[in-house]
Order: sequence, then C-alpha cells, then structure tokens
Amino acid sequence: MAEKKSLGKEFTKGLIAENPVLRLVLGTCPTLATSTSVVNAIGMGIAATIVLVCSNIVISLLRKVIPSKVRIPAYIVIIASFVTIVQMIVKAFVPALDAALGVFLPLIVVNCIILGRAEAFAGKNSVIASAVDGLGMGVGFTFALCCMASVREIIGAGTFLSGAQNLLVLFGDNVLNGFNGFTLIPQDGYISPMLIFILAPGGFFTFGILMACANKIAEKKGKPRAELGGCQACPMAKNCALLAEGKECSDKKEDETA
Amino acid sequence: MKTLKEFLIPTVILSVICLIATFLLGMTNSVTAPKIEQLAIETELASRKTVFPDATNFGEETSPEEGVSVVAALDESGATIGYVVVNTAKGYGGDISVMTGITADGKVTGVNILSHGETAGLGANATNESFRDQFKGLVQGITVSKDKAGDNSIDALTGATITSRAVVEAVNSAIQTAGGENIG
Amino acid sequence: MKIGLSILLTAILTENFVLCKFLGICPFLGVSKKLNTAVGMSSAVIFVMALATAVTYPINKYLLVANDLEYLQTIVFILVIAALVQLVEIILKKFMPPLYNALGIYLPLITTNCAVLGVVLLNITNEYNFAQSMINSVGAGIGFMLAMVIFSGVRSRLESCDIPKFLHGLPIVLIAASIVSLSFMGFTGLVDGIFG
Repeated sequence: MAEKKSLGKEFTKGLIAENPVLRLVLGTCPTLATSTSVVNAIGMGIAATIVLVCSNIVISLLRKVIPSKVRIPAYIVIIASFVTIVQMIVKAFVPALDAALGVFLPLIVVNCIILGRAEAFAGKNSVIASAVDGLGMGVGFTFALCCMASVREIIGAGTFLSGAQNLLVLFGDNVLNGFNGFTLIPQDGYISPMLIFILAPGGFFTFGILMACANKIAEKKGKPRAELGGCQACPMAKNCALLAEGKECSDKKEDETA
Repeated sequence: MKTLKEFLIPTVILSVICLIATFLLGMTNSVTAPKIEQLAIETELASRKTVFPDATNFGEETSPEEGVSVVAALDESGATIGYVVVNTAKGYGGDISVMTGITADGKVTGVNILSHGETAGLGANATNESFRDQFKGLVQGITVSKDKAGDNSIDALTGATITSRAVVEAVNSAIQTAGGENIG
Repeated sequence: MKIGLSILLTAILTENFVLCKFLGICPFLGVSKKLNTAVGMSSAVIFVMALATAVTYPINKYLLVANDLEYLQTIVFILVIAALVQLVEIILKKFMPPLYNALGIYLPLITTNCAVLGVVLLNITNEYNFAQSMINSVGAGIGFMLAMVIFSGVRSRLESCDIPKFLHGLPIVLIAASIVSLSFMGFTGLVDGIFG
C-alpha cells in the first residue's frame, strides 16, 4: 500500500518530480510522434489524460473484484474501451485532430503511462486518489508534450499554435475570431524555419536536449538523473527482472560490472 | 473443487468485464457513427465545392479505371457543366491523391490535395492555396517551370519539384479522363 | 511482385518504423545497448508481428468487417496480441527450449510494444490484402531489426567517447538516435525512384 499523501501532492508529483515523460521516460513514442505542433500535442495530451483518468477510476473501483491472475488482461480491456470511446468522439467532433494523430490515437492503448499507472497506483489505491493521480500524470504528459512541441513548431515551422481552429471547433465555428495561431517566421522572409525540427531527427534531438535540461534541474535538487526504463512504473517490470537474471538486460548495474 | 474455483472465477469476471466493455462501445458507436458518416459526406461535398465552385449539385460517382473516380458537376437545372475527377500520382513520399474540377470545355476550375505523404514544409506545401490556385483556368498539357511560369504552366514548389510534377501529372491525366467522359 | 517489393523496401527503409514513424521507441532505446540483445529482441518482434498479422487479418475481415464491428478493432487486436504472445511463450517453453531461451525472455515485453499493434492497424488503414499485409509486417520487423543493430553499433562506440557531462546517459543516446534517423531520411524517394 502506498504511503498516504495529500491529494495535492498526488497531483503535483505527476507534473514535475515524477513527470511521466521527462523523469520516468514512459510514453516516448507518442511524445516524439505527436509533438510536431503544439495543437497536436495538446490534443494528444487531452485524449491521453481522459483515458488515464477514466481507466484509473474504473480500475480502482474494481480493484477488489479483479483477481490478480487476470489483472493485466482486465486492465487492457478497460483501457482499450476508453481509448475506443475517445477515438470515436474525436472522429465525430474533432475530425482534423483524428487526421493529425492518425494511428497514434488508438495506440494510446499501449502507452506505458496508462498501463503503468493502473498497475502501480490505481490497482492499490482509493478511487479519488487514483483519479487525482491520473489527472496529475495526464497533465504532466501534456506539459512535457507541449514543451517538446513548442520548441519543434517554433524552430521547425516558424509558427506557434498553428491550426488552433482544429481544436477550437469543439466550442463552435470561428471562436476567438477565427484565431489560427501566430506566424513567427514568415515563409518568404530572409530566414526560413529549420524544417528538420518537425521531421523525425529533430524529434529525437529536441527530446535529448529537453532530457538533459530535466536532468540538470533534477540534479540541482539532489535527485537522480532520469534513467531508461523507469522500472518502478513499468507494467513489465517483472519481466525486466527476468531479463536481469539472465544477465541480458540492459540494466545499468549488470552492464557496468560485466 | 478448489481448482475449479481458481479457474472459473477469474474467467467469469474477465468475461463480464469484456461484455460490459463491448456493450458500452456499441452504445457509443451507435451515437457517433451517424455523425462520423455525415461528416465524411459533408467533407467530400465541401471538397468538391472548392474545386468546382460553380456547381450546385453533383452526380453519381463512376470509376472509369482503377484508382480514378469521376463525378459530374451539375448546375441548377441539373445539366452537366463539368466533371470532378479524383486520381493519384506518385509523389516523393508515396501516392498523392488529387481532386480536380474541370469544365465541359476542358478548363481546370480548381485543384485539391486529398491525401499525401510528402515531406512537411516542402512537398506538403502543395496543399497551400497559393500553389493550388495556379491551376485555375489552365488546359490540357500543363507544364512545370522552375523560375517563371509561362503560358499554361505553374511555378514549382521550392525544393519539391517531384511533388509539383506529380500534381501536374495527376491534373493532366484528370483533364484527359474528363475529356473522354465528355465524348463518351 | 513489384508492389510487394515496393512495400517491403518502404517498410524497411523509407518508412522505418523506429526512425521515421516513432513506433517501438521504448525497446529501441532500452534493449539496443548490446548487439546480441538487440538481435534477440528484434527477432522476437519480427516473429510476433508476422504471427499477429496472420491472426488478426482473418479476424478483421471475416468477423469484424463482415458484421460491421470495425469499432472493436483496437480492443480485439490488443487482446489477441496479448493472448498470442502468452500462447507462443508457453508453446516455445514446452516444445522448443532452445528457441525459448533465445527469444522467450523478450516476448512479454512485446505485448506493450506499440510497433506490433501499430503494424496491424496500419495494414488496415492502408487497405492491404493478406499477402501485402504479411510483407508489410515482416518488412516493418526487419526495419526494426536494422535500426536496432545499427544503433547498438553506434552505442558501443559512444561508450568510449568523451561526452560533455550534461549529456551523459539518455540525452546523448537520443541525440545519437537523431543522427541515425537523419541518415535514414536519405532513403526518402528511393522506393518510388526504383519502382515508379
């Protein structure tokens, strides 16, 4: 049983101290793939947060009913249902976002953050705490995505919040006077945006630099650097231990002594 | 009895969860599916309107060859005033799906890029209005020019000649398709 | 034949799952430290991808699409993949211990590998037929292996490099991945150039 913390702490830990992307290194695929523009990042973040909060609540409600033997498949069914519901809603009401996120919308199912939180938190804690934990983690995920996306969009495309109407369509046509983002570097100006930043290599590069910054901040606070695998939150941690036993895991200690 | 219980209970619970989940999904689907369908129809109509603004209605879709579809553009009286052709061409990053509006006398009324896999910021600029609008009023045999567009030619996109050529190729072939439709 | 080859080359090089489509990043970063683990993991991925496609294609065509149940794709596929992985693990353990020893430990990690679910979903989005789906899946798997093997080589060189302190650990790995990914961009347009 996790130690009792106040709900406020439960929420804020997901933002910074245990940020799922920058500290626990989970959900790297959608982070890299959907951070080409801030609007996509916000859309992805909101979709993942909704799934995270809903599945955390349901799993926590059912935590005493689900036998531990079939808990992973049960979690997967619950998460997959919410993902499908979110997917249908996005398709029906925010079609531009569906087109932009493509296959990464259904792939929220296998986002380690969600299964990881189900296994590490919601399966053991009360409903309210789980909901708050899910919200915190979701907002933390969205925050990290937005950091990545701001850098990539501003440098790579020379715009900020471009395509905002794609999301704002939820609140009706032409809200905020049809606001559709700022252009920071005009297309035909003296300098062109550095395209490479919105392409695949720029994604890896930006993530690397952001990770270095997050590490620096963590170090100043006397916390360890982010390590790959974020084992404590990973649903597959047990199997990782299995790997380590076979001395084949990429586990850092095993490797350094080998 | 113990083993039975050990196997049965998890199986039953898992099945119940699956059933409830499927039921919920079915409910959501019945709410959103008509909306999604309607949206698809609206998007298609809006897309046809942008390439053929003069048309008030569109006829039935036909497919003269694989990967090409033709729709007659109709005016208020229901007479055919042109065609909207959807076809594909090989771009730099795979197929580009292009929708072209063509009048009965073979003039392009508009071009729209439906889907593509071109490089963001280079080839993907083909979706920009400034590129697409160049096609308006052109006729069969459109060419691509790299510096200044002459008669019946368009300016290539900077750094994306292959994409520009692919779109032009699609539009030329669309004019041909529409012409054939017109005669036949 | 031509279409098959073009799908294969596209999946391996121009649209490499890891380096261009950002699928399967976690194992790419996590298990690429040594060559032998990289090869083991990616062999298991190729195997599961091919198997998952072979099983989900008929399910999708004859059960889901035939009954207008496409909306259940995500939930059905992830369950099928999870069950399949478990099943393969049990069968291998019992009947093919040497193969189990080589691949078995990687299998559970693959359930949550988004590349497997990704390839299955992309086959449907691209409207591939059975043969094309299989080619695409195997190609994606080979592409995954290629990226893993190349990257494990890069990482073993990194170990002996003098890296600025603030980049130690994950940051330098990501930046190295960025450069490998840059080199794969050189393949864009190649496939259509050959087959177009």
